[in-house]
Amino acid sequence: MNKPVAVPSAEGSTGILKPPGKKPAGQRVKEFCVDFVKQWELQSMILPGILFMIIFNFIPIYGLTIAFKSYTVIDTIDSAPWVGFDNFRIILTDHYFWDSVVNTLGISFLKLAIGFFVPIILAIMIYELSGSRFKKFVQTVSYLPHFLSWIVLGGMLITWVSTTGLFNEVLLSLGLISKPQNILLDPDKYWWIAVLSDIWKEAGWGTILYLAVMSKIDPTYYEAAKIDGANRLRQIWNITIPNMKMIISLNLILTVSGLLGSNLDQTLVLMNSQNRETAEVINSYVYRMGMTQGDFSYATTVGLGVSIVSVILLVTANKITSKLNDNQSVL
Amino acid sequence: MSKRKNVFGKKGFTLIAVMMTVMLLVSACSGGGSGKKGENLESIQGRYTPDANTPAWKLDKKEETTKLTWYVNADWWNTDFGNDVVTKKIKQDLNIDIKFITGDDTKLNTFFAGGDMPDLITTFGINSPVVQKASSWALPLDDLAAKYDPYFNKVAAQDTLNWFKLADGKTYGYPNYSNTKQDYDKGTIPAKTAFIIRKDVYEALGRPSMSTPEEFRSVMKDIKAKFPEMIPFGFNSIGEGTGSLGDVLQDFIGVPLEDQNGGFYNRNLDEDYLTWLKTLNLVHRDGNISDDSFADNGTAFEEKVKSGKYATILLDGTPQQGGNLQMFMSANPGKEYIAIDGPKSTVGNKPKLNQSGISGWMITFITKKNVDPAKSIQLYTYLLSEEGQMLMNYGIEGETYVKNADGKVQFTPEVKDLQQNNADKFKKDYRMGEFMFFGHDRHKALSNDAFPESIKQMQEWGKGKLVPHFILENIDPNQGTPEARALSAINTKWNSSMVSMIRAKDDAQFEAVLNDYKKFLQDNNWDNIVKIRSDKMKANKEKLGL
Repeated sequence: MNKPVAVPSAEGSTGILKPPGKKPAGQRVKEFCVDFVKQWELQSMILPGILFMIIFNFIPIYGLTIAFKSYTVIDTIDSAPWVGFDNFRIILTDHYFWDSVVNTLGISFLKLAIGFFVPIILAIMIYELSGSRFKKFVQTVSYLPHFLSWIVLGGMLITWVSTTGLFNEVLLSLGLISKPQNILLDPDKYWWIAVLSDIWKEAGWGTILYLAVMSKIDPTYYEAAKIDGANRLRQIWNITIPNMKMIISLNLILTVSGLLGSNLDQTLVLMNSQNRETAEVINSYVYRMGMTQGDFSYATTVGLGVSIVSVILLVTANKITSKLNDNQSVL
Repeated sequence: MSKRKNVFGKKGFTLIAVMMTVMLLVSACSGGGSGKKGENLESIQGRYTPDANTPAWKLDKKEETTKLTWYVNADWWNTDFGNDVVTKKIKQDLNIDIKFITGDDTKLNTFFAGGDMPDLITTFGINSPVVQKASSWALPLDDLAAKYDPYFNKVAAQDTLNWFKLADGKTYGYPNYSNTKQDYDKGTIPAKTAFIIRKDVYEALGRPSMSTPEEFRSVMKDIKAKFPEMIPFGFNSIGEGTGSLGDVLQDFIGVPLEDQNGGFYNRNLDEDYLTWLKTLNLVHRDGNISDDSFADNGTAFEEKVKSGKYATILLDGTPQQGGNLQMFMSANPGKEYIAIDGPKSTVGNKPKLNQSGISGWMITFITKKNVDPAKSIQLYTYLLSEEGQMLMNYGIEGETYVKNADGKVQFTPEVKDLQQNNADKFKKDYRMGEFMFFGHDRHKALSNDAFPESIKQMQEWGKGKLVPHFILENIDPNQGTPEARALSAINTKWNSSMVSMIRAKDDAQFEAVLNDYKKFLQDNNWDNIVKIRSDKMKANKEKLGL
């Protein structure tokens, strides 16, 4: 029954999958063409996807040229005058921009250093829970903050850390502080507020992928381990974690490439006149320059720089994780 | 069987693939051609003869309905037309049909880039490049009025027309909510700033004066002692600006608007103002300004206003807080907030309260691609006339509103009930006060219902204290220039400096922050900014005929 379908696809794939270099180039091109014609219906199905990419992803790249122009809303991208590297020069001397770079990197690395491992640990802990009802309850509760937007959550946070709010009440009654203070006004504490509140919001949600992978681990591994006398921690260390290697490295790559894409909504809600020096991140700075100052060229320049650095980070992270994973690369 | 199924499947594949490709290609390539029209003003011969004493819409005998596309650069604009009382009347009287389009700067940009312009464009911000370069894409209202509707000059405010003149001496756009000097002088616009105190607190303390720094500081202490649950002094949320402690406080104590030579004056460094900032610093050190007030966003501030948490507030935008103040007033009779004199200049200046200026809000243009410029200028005239203003604010006399013996205007009971209890239906069926192109504040004074009870005493207090700030409007360096960037950095610096000065631990820290701000000015192109601002102030004065 499957024969008519299976045969052409098997033929089709051989030419492409064979390691390159074994046949002369001319023959390979010819084979490729023959295969392509054979599969033209299938191949044409990706055409809309390719067109979509060209129209919405590749053509807009042209818009990046406004980083080298002085652009206003009534110009077209073509008609705006060229200014060379002026915008880049301005950025290099803009200390508010550099503040935002330092803050972005600081907050992101803290988030990476702490926030990356919390969901893994939390997932393992949830996985190890017995009693499915309690497990479900814990899971649900830990997901909840994820579904609130930063606008709502930030408003709650502002109230909680106010001088008459929850945090100060607790600290006062524990005798840890003598006078209530609003930590949102303290620039030295902002990074920690940003990092910890973000982890609290997202850690539960971050466990989903890990739990999905863990549910696929063959239970016989654990049974065998138990017979060999391995305790819980041993089992986690030697079975659970090795099985999660791939997904952990995939997550790491995605997280690292997003290091510069700091959290805009969180910053806009929690930033105030006193903590700006440590709160302003690249995204909020671009937003302020681009949207509120109407300086599109400048904002694009910053965006372009961020994209370039992000690509470099992505490639580096991929290289490193593939080394760790016995040269198996995720991307 | 398997073979037939396969063949069918293959055909299906092909069909779907081809269809999807074609669809995508078609959608990608459509939207090319556009009907272009010449820029010359077309003749209205045979339609009507313009008359300086009659609005042209009453003369125009064009029978076919004019269809206009009107782009509004705001996503929230209600695009409905012809279904509610207000727009139905406009549709009837002018025999027009308007199709509204809304969007943001990106969409506006595609109009300019593609050349396929709508008939009318409404945008914001007199300083934006779109408005400043209007001569390249819009028709001059002066020429349109002269050719099609001279009556326009009778209903448009001459000051506003002058204000919107571009370098070529012509006016292209006309705003709404543009207040002229006349409006200020006549007192038709109410003040929006007040220093307010809770009545029970005020009475309990024996109605003290708090006009000098010393009085202010000691009354704050008294409030703290007698009402420990309350925050003695509050102010608008600071955010990225200055709340009500920057230019609002400066206006309140009457810091001069310009220096002796008529040039730009850095009001932030005014001695009188700094004395008051120092006073606020002392009050903060006494523990009578809550740190939370510096971290609160707008919502948190409103929450506190609504619950009467502040004993006193320097409040900017009383109409915006009218609802919250009303809620507190209704729930706590006898404790409502009242306006009192509050902080006064230490050098004898009079208050110079600010209100919306002459630049207005939404600015509407007739584009060069307009299908019927005559009809369009008629629409301007219509909406700007007494008739149009009454229609937009109150609807139709006898149907939605009645005039009392004292000349005051009142909605009919059904309409008022709907407005208060079913806002959605009111918007859908009536839409008074919402369709506000060319709408102005001056007609609001005709009704007693325009403002909530809670702020009427505050507006009463503000009478005679408004001073036009027109010379200071739009004096910032042009967007995208190095000076504009420097100014943006300076404003950010002032935002944090001002708060740091109020929160300073001692005098030395206060001075250090202040000196740091002064140094920042020098390091950031301040002299050039002052020069640009002074030049623009000069140009403003010329436009205003000062």
